[in-house]
Amino acid sequence: MNRRRSAFPVHLALAAVSLVMLVPFYWVVKTSITGENIFAYPPSLLPVEPHLFYYVDAWYTIPFPRYLFNSVVVAAMVILANLVFNAAAGYALTKSFPGKRWIILLLLACMMIPFHATIIPAYLVTGRLGLLNTHLGLALPAFSHIICIFVFKANFDAIPASLVQAARIDGVPESRILLKVILPLAKPAVATNLILSFIWSWNDFLWPLIITRDQAMQTLPLGLSAFLAQFEDATGALYAFCVMVLAPGLLVFLLAQKEFIRGLTSGARKG
Amino acid sequence: MAGLALPRPRRQLIARRRHREHVLIWTLLLPALAIFLLFRILPLIWNLWLSFQYWEPGKPSRFAGLEHYQEMVLFDDVFWEALWNTFKYMATAPLAILLALALALLVDRPIRGRNVYRTIIFLSYPLTVVAVGVIWRWLYDEKVGLINFVLRELGLIDEPIRFLETYATALPSVIVAAIWQIVGFFMIILLTGLQSIPPHLYEAAAVDGVPRSAQFFRITLPLLRPSLFLCFVIGIIASFTSFDLIYTMTGGGPGHATELLVTYVYKVAFGRTEFDYAAAVTMVMFSLFLGLALLGNWLAGGDAGRIEVSE
Repeated sequence: MNRRRSAFPVHLALAAVSLVMLVPFYWVVKTSITGENIFAYPPSLLPVEPHLFYYVDAWYTIPFPRYLFNSVVVAAMVILANLVFNAAAGYALTKSFPGKRWIILLLLACMMIPFHATIIPAYLVTGRLGLLNTHLGLALPAFSHIICIFVFKANFDAIPASLVQAARIDGVPESRILLKVILPLAKPAVATNLILSFIWSWNDFLWPLIITRDQAMQTLPLGLSAFLAQFEDATGALYAFCVMVLAPGLLVFLLAQKEFIRGLTSGARKG
Repeated sequence: MAGLALPRPRRQLIARRRHREHVLIWTLLLPALAIFLLFRILPLIWNLWLSFQYWEPGKPSRFAGLEHYQEMVLFDDVFWEALWNTFKYMATAPLAILLALALALLVDRPIRGRNVYRTIIFLSYPLTVVAVGVIWRWLYDEKVGLINFVLRELGLIDEPIRFLETYATALPSVIVAAIWQIVGFFMIILLTGLQSIPPHLYEAAAVDGVPRSAQFFRITLPLLRPSLFLCFVIGIIASFTSFDLIYTMTGGGPGHATELLVTYVYKVAFGRTEFDYAAAVTMVMFSLFLGLALLGNWLAGGDAGRIEVSE
């Protein structure tokens, strides 16, 4: 807006805030590679005798590979289901059909029901389906995110109708039009869906906490929480574990920042 | 319509094609709708029903009327404490929004490296909340926590503070961690709002010699209202859903100093297996949430967080 003013105070303020935002990251990474007793006072600001022992420790003393496997399986199921279900529903909502108004109202109403307000019956439903303590049970409630349906719908709406019309005149069946013409043009929505459903699944904690009963089915956040409960903060391995839980999510976010933010702000943007 | 003029076989063809299309549309909608019916609508109704029942695992339930609600309101001190804490936790929203607004205004300026600043400030938002809890516990640690260390080095305190174990400081300490995580998200929402303000408004104001402070209060703030209230609604949602952070950092303690309604529901339902009573607490939580969210929506001019619905 105003280029004439010096940018220096702005940089100073932003650098200070950035420091506050980054220090917690630094501190946990530092702790996870500190070779000395992590309870030494005063704490050293730089890592002392850095080593990766705690990472090895975390990998072997806890069933880390098992947690990782569960997290990956659940995330894969959630991502796949979200892509298929949301693309299908989003596409259907670009058409006009009787009852469409009610369906949209229903979806908007469902957005006002936080998952946290449904945990007890959701547990009972999953129990009736016989899915407690299973991968499918962990993934099922997250199989479709309403916001992602609308991301798909907006993307499909932006595809020129003439293109679809041309294919239709050529006698291409609807299902093939969807697969061969429309989906390739919906890559941004696909990317947004992928990122959001991955991050949400990866970070999910309350639902796995409720429906998993034995360690073999636990996901990474749950494993981290269990590790914390068992050892308090007595060992550096906790922080190594913590870094390993954070790393994949951070990596995905940094690689696909634009898609992530677009998905999150799609509710905020108007018109 | 023109369809009437068409010969009969053609009309039938169109009708059949339309019918086929409707079948396709409903088939496409069905999977997503099934999920929402199964995990949103049905649980909500079931939850309401459950809150009026006596329920024990493996036994048929009996009608309880308003028994659970009565017990909650009249005798349950923990419920009242959790309710009060939930309101206090909402303080996260205005604090984070003020901070986010300042940051959004700063990173909206044409300065070098603003994208780097944006990324850094937003970086905490997509993190696994349990890990955030572990990190902040460590920062707050009494003996070697960074926060106590810095405060002592600066000479601000003599004795280390047990932030998360002291009744008075536990909830504010968790709120600080919550703000740290959510401020970047609010900044991005407000930035999107700022960027959608037409620049010619500022140009016109500058030509008319309107001072910058007046530009902020007369142009920026009013046009940012939907974004501000969207943040507010998200903040309210957070105060009803911040389970992970509380569970990891304090477990609701010390005593019930950081108990929120959502952590209390979890404890009653899955710690004490009193699904019926927990369902009643859930209903209170949900009604409160719905009321506040609708209020926020209404204050924002009715379109905060709304997705444009075009038919």
